[in-house]
Amino acid sequence: MSLLEDGVFLCGVSGKRYEVMKKLGAGGQGEVYEIECDGHSYALKWYFPKFSTDKQEALIENLVRRGSPDSAFLWPEDMVYSDTESFGYVMALRPKHYKSISDLMRRRAEPTFAVLTKAAYNLVAGYEKLHAMGFAYGDISFGNLFFDPDTGEVLICDNDNVCAPNAANPMSVFGTPRFMAPEIVVGKATPSRNTDLYSLAILLFNMLLLHHPLEGKRESDTECMDVHAMYKLYGSEAVFIFDPDSEVNRPVAGVHDNALIYWRLYPEYVRELFTKSFTTGLREPARRITETQWKAALARLAEGITRCSCGAEILQKSEPCWSCHEQLTVDNVQLTVVAHPDNLEMLGLRNDSSQTWTYIRADGTQIPVPPGKTAAIAVGARIEFANTGGIQT
Amino acid sequence: MTDLKELKRPGGELASRPLHFIWMVDCSGSMLDDKIGTVNYAIQATIPEMLDAATNNPFAKLLVRTLSFSSGAQWVTPAPVSIEDFVWSDLSADGVTDMGHALKLLRAALDIPPMSDRALPPVIVLLSDGRPTDDYKPELEKLLAMPWGKKAVRIAIAIGQDADLNVLEEFTGKSELVLEAMNRDALVKMIKWASTAASMVSAPAVAGSDSPVTTLDMEAVKNLSAARSIGSTSTADVW
Repeated sequence: MSLLEDGVFLCGVSGKRYEVMKKLGAGGQGEVYEIECDGHSYALKWYFPKFSTDKQEALIENLVRRGSPDSAFLWPEDMVYSDTESFGYVMALRPKHYKSISDLMRRRAEPTFAVLTKAAYNLVAGYEKLHAMGFAYGDISFGNLFFDPDTGEVLICDNDNVCAPNAANPMSVFGTPRFMAPEIVVGKATPSRNTDLYSLAILLFNMLLLHHPLEGKRESDTECMDVHAMYKLYGSEAVFIFDPDSEVNRPVAGVHDNALIYWRLYPEYVRELFTKSFTTGLREPARRITETQWKAALARLAEGITRCSCGAEILQKSEPCWSCHEQLTVDNVQLTVVAHPDNLEMLGLRNDSSQTWTYIRADGTQIPVPPGKTAAIAVGARIEFANTGGIQT
Repeated sequence: MTDLKELKRPGGELASRPLHFIWMVDCSGSMLDDKIGTVNYAIQATIPEMLDAATNNPFAKLLVRTLSFSSGAQWVTPAPVSIEDFVWSDLSADGVTDMGHALKLLRAALDIPPMSDRALPPVIVLLSDGRPTDDYKPELEKLLAMPWGKKAVRIAIAIGQDADLNVLEEFTGKSELVLEAMNRDALVKMIKWASTAASMVSAPAVAGSDSPVTTLDMEAVKNLSAARSIGSTSTADVW
């Protein structure tokens, strides 16, 4: 059962004539179709009669008129009507290679830290432009965001609830559980720019750490996660798992491992923004981390990512590699991996720096390696680079 | 540095909780032909939508299985199956209504173990068109005394006018959660609605400041009264 049949023609307010090609899916408010006009494909969201309200129509008319904040949005471009009371809106189609944030969380999309950071930055930049237009999104969560796992480009979908909410005209959505600001969970507020900033922080924490920032001991102590438990955990009694002033909700090893693995990988300036988001930001909506702050931190994070010789990306140069546990300050060590002239299977590290290294054999014997010379990679041997920790060969 | 291999980011998937969803279907002889046929059609049709909803919520791991009862009772899918892999096996109708036997199997499945002590509330949807022919009462009492039996979201769909509403209300504990399907259209709608209980449990609607938090979206239940009236006014095919 579909609302529209394939092959039907519909007229847009812009004057364009669209042909319905096929149904792509259905959601709570309506169905999504692939449509064509002049050889170009678009997506059409068509509302169920119950949701074809005057309010919704006015909302979308306004969005079409104002225009898209940024190319990251699948924004309503045209309104389409049929002979019946129903209507829909036209937007760009989402390219197939984009993955959902749910795919990221389930490890079905495996971007590098560098791409992930870029995707996070792009989402923040997108919402910043939306907010700058006076709008609120109202439902930042996994389901309506997509990213290219190779480039970090993002797409923000489901923009048909976007509006400029105020006390007289609150948003018609409340958001998604686990992403809603505590003041919405407890029924004291409706979505706004400031609640978007909270949901954005929840989203960023989930993307970067593959864990929810409020799910610690309190979560694992809860046997039945029903609506009452969720009201407390994400609303009335929310506590950040790394709250510096309260240890009551720390992550539990074996249950919340991602939180424990990732938290220490990120630099202090990233952890600080999360800490503020989920301590003062939990209680004081006006003091949440702004897009500008997130953009600065994420740009700095992306810039600082290097790769250890073991293949792992390192987010903080001052810390040992999370995978091979070696200290490697890549920036300060200039070297080239070279093969032995007589035995190609024997590899060594050539000192391309201007300082002499110290090669320490397994038996403890020390040999100087001046610039231009090569040290063999051997079991148990170590190299002390000048002024740095050194690596195990 | 030259040509380094790339290592994946550490850690595992997002931590999730299991959400057990159980279809409990009366397959007694009176369900024969169109009733059981509609049930088979409607439940199978819910699978893609349940999968879509589950895909968007990685905090929950939706596990589905089917329990059928007639003369005796049996698990159609003995172990919980992830919604990604769930395939509906058509049920056929024959025999009496051994609901007590089915409740006994259900109890064993809701025990800890095999259930984990940490989970989302299980959802059990009971479909029946008659009254139990065995002694269901002690089994139901024991079920409702179990931790997961008590916490489960229990929905019943009464098919046709011979369904025993009192028994179904004893099962759900709330009269609003007994849905009466008087014809095929209503039955399809109610099965579809019941299938959305999974997402309502894993991501429940927001609670208002003074409204008590409810387990299910009662607004949606009320909307179903429209479906009920279709059932009572339609002239064709009233069961």
